[in-house]
Amino acid sequence: MDKILLKKALPQWVKKLQTYRIYAPAKDEDIWTYEAVNTPEDIDLEFLITALSPKKIIFPQREVYFEFNKDDNDNPDIKETIPEDEPTIVFGVRPCDAKALTLTDLVFGGDFEDVYYWKRRNQTILVGLACNTPPSTNCFCLSVEGSPHSKEGLDILLTDLGDKYYVESLTKNGVKLLNLAKNLFTPPKAGDKKDLQKIHAESEKKIKKQIKNLKKVPPKLKGMWDSSFWDEEAMSCLRCGICTYMCPTCHCFDINDEVHSHTPLTGKRIRTWDTCQFPDFTMHSSGHNPRPDKASRLRQRIMHKFQYFVERYQNYQCTGCGRCITNCPVGIDIIEVLDKVRDYGP
Amino acid sequence: MVNVEDLRKEAKRILKEGKVKYVIGYERGQNGLMPKPAFIKDPEDVDRLIWNPTCVHNLTKFLVDEKKRKAGEKKPDERPVGIVVKGCDSRAIIVLLQEKYINREDVHILGISCEQTGVIDEKKLANKLKGKKAENIELDEKGNFVISVQGGTIKVPAEELLAERCLECRANYPVVYDLLLGDKTKKKVEEPFKSLEKMESLSEKERWAFWTEQLAKCIRCYACRSVCPMCYCDECVVDTINFAVTADTTASEKAGKIKWVEKSPVPSENFVYHMVRAMHLAGRCIDCGECERVCPLDIPLRFLNKKLEKEAKELFGYDAGFDPDEPSLVSSFKDEDPEDFIR
Repeated sequence: MDKILLKKALPQWVKKLQTYRIYAPAKDEDIWTYEAVNTPEDIDLEFLITALSPKKIIFPQREVYFEFNKDDNDNPDIKETIPEDEPTIVFGVRPCDAKALTLTDLVFGGDFEDVYYWKRRNQTILVGLACNTPPSTNCFCLSVEGSPHSKEGLDILLTDLGDKYYVESLTKNGVKLLNLAKNLFTPPKAGDKKDLQKIHAESEKKIKKQIKNLKKVPPKLKGMWDSSFWDEEAMSCLRCGICTYMCPTCHCFDINDEVHSHTPLTGKRIRTWDTCQFPDFTMHSSGHNPRPDKASRLRQRIMHKFQYFVERYQNYQCTGCGRCITNCPVGIDIIEVLDKVRDYGP
Repeated sequence: MVNVEDLRKEAKRILKEGKVKYVIGYERGQNGLMPKPAFIKDPEDVDRLIWNPTCVHNLTKFLVDEKKRKAGEKKPDERPVGIVVKGCDSRAIIVLLQEKYINREDVHILGISCEQTGVIDEKKLANKLKGKKAENIELDEKGNFVISVQGGTIKVPAEELLAERCLECRANYPVVYDLLLGDKTKKKVEEPFKSLEKMESLSEKERWAFWTEQLAKCIRCYACRSVCPMCYCDECVVDTINFAVTADTTASEKAGKIKWVEKSPVPSENFVYHMVRAMHLAGRCIDCGECERVCPLDIPLRFLNKKLEKEAKELFGYDAGFDPDEPSLVSSFKDEDPEDFIR
């Protein structure tokens, strides 16, 4: 269902959605983050790319699995802590970030459904915004089977047509949000549809970065496990977690018990983000570490995204948002690494 | 004036003569104007080396890496590594020498004076460029940065682009080196702790509110720790398991590892992490500003370290990273040390 919404009517639409918890991009000094919208008038979709993707809303950095304690008779008592019912809308989702959620869906779905993830995922509606101009100089979505106006994973896609948005509702939930403020939306005119197609076509041309022949990378990686290539590439790596924590598709986590009191025993079992870039990620209790150096950890990041994930799920585990490139303190550029892998050896 | 050719010539010489294993310097990055660390092994590659006001990184962290790498090798190459340092970076080497983490003969220092300027702040530059792409940046005689962009140039007074630390720098040329490029002209800095004034004027309550808001943003990627040359511990309090584990470590020793900080990125734990780091850097931090530069969420970490630098100066007359023969602040005692704050 395609509609037109005047930009100035956006706050009125948001006002009609007050039964939902609403997130939208907000600027904090030099960076954009998703913040709760408390007053509909504050909503502003003139933003670039957020520091962290909406992954942090669906898969928060800290999740409480359950609370535990022992009662007076020393019997264990465990209390389930499934996320509360809290219907949520995220405005201003970039197509790459929405696509990323379809990839984490694969990981947290399948044979074993992660109840925490899916509780949040199923109650969150994603309102996307097409990237008429690339929000970052490091965008490369076209190279990884994405596009600046991709609808994948979104419930609604907005495209900026100057003083109005072209609104494409893509799911039942999307239609539901439009129906909550029916009088604000008008049918598109023939010219609007034309403008939309033109803007979408132009937006693709504006993306400067690309990886050529990425298809050659996964088979190439298979033969590069022992290559000294990784030592060279990882020389400048600092072993921080930026590339993976900022990544919209990285999903690894750690589980710890946080004990608040020993007598009587009370505490919580907590899931937090973890990253293959930390040395303790693979450290065994014996003291052996199968990924002992930076080279093996960089190899893991690249192989997971461009070989293992491709084999397992027939998708690259990367949506071309460019955050890992922008934020790497030492300029490690995943595009450059993949170019070198593709051209490596015979 | 620094001529990059002199740097390349010396790098070529020491590589050719086999005096060093490799040279750590700066090279052009893939990503616009900002450079990236370069590791040059082949004397024929020295032309990759660059020097300009975008060379922000403190490369001395790679000396820590080198030492750790060597420790894992059965027959390590004992030759030194060559490294390009600015004034601030050279002071990090002094601290590593003072603490006997590295030896002087482990490192061949190619020092470069920032002369009258310093390095630029990438975020300040981005704000000036307003989406334009910078191709080159140079300093003119009048103290302006001249930025070449497509179809013209932008002229900006140096102070508006320099990194905050450079505006308060007390060592704009290297204090230890094997080769020095550029003049040892001292830049005049009248108020080395000016940036702290605003924070110091706040009440305790306001400061608490400020830091609560700032540290709530922390995602514990530990980039601030990872980039810091002073954070060289084999085992850090925030790591979840004990890196000092060997085959002889007993199960009860492993189980008895104290958990100082939970992994949850909640304000209480984030505070512990950043406070522990700040305290461990007191009298050691040389204000290279890297922790703040690398933070992906823009937490103003430099305030914490600058404050402790000021305390060390005011209470003990101590300046970190100037004299390799002076004992480090926390491992020395003088009769005249103040003790009125001990309660």
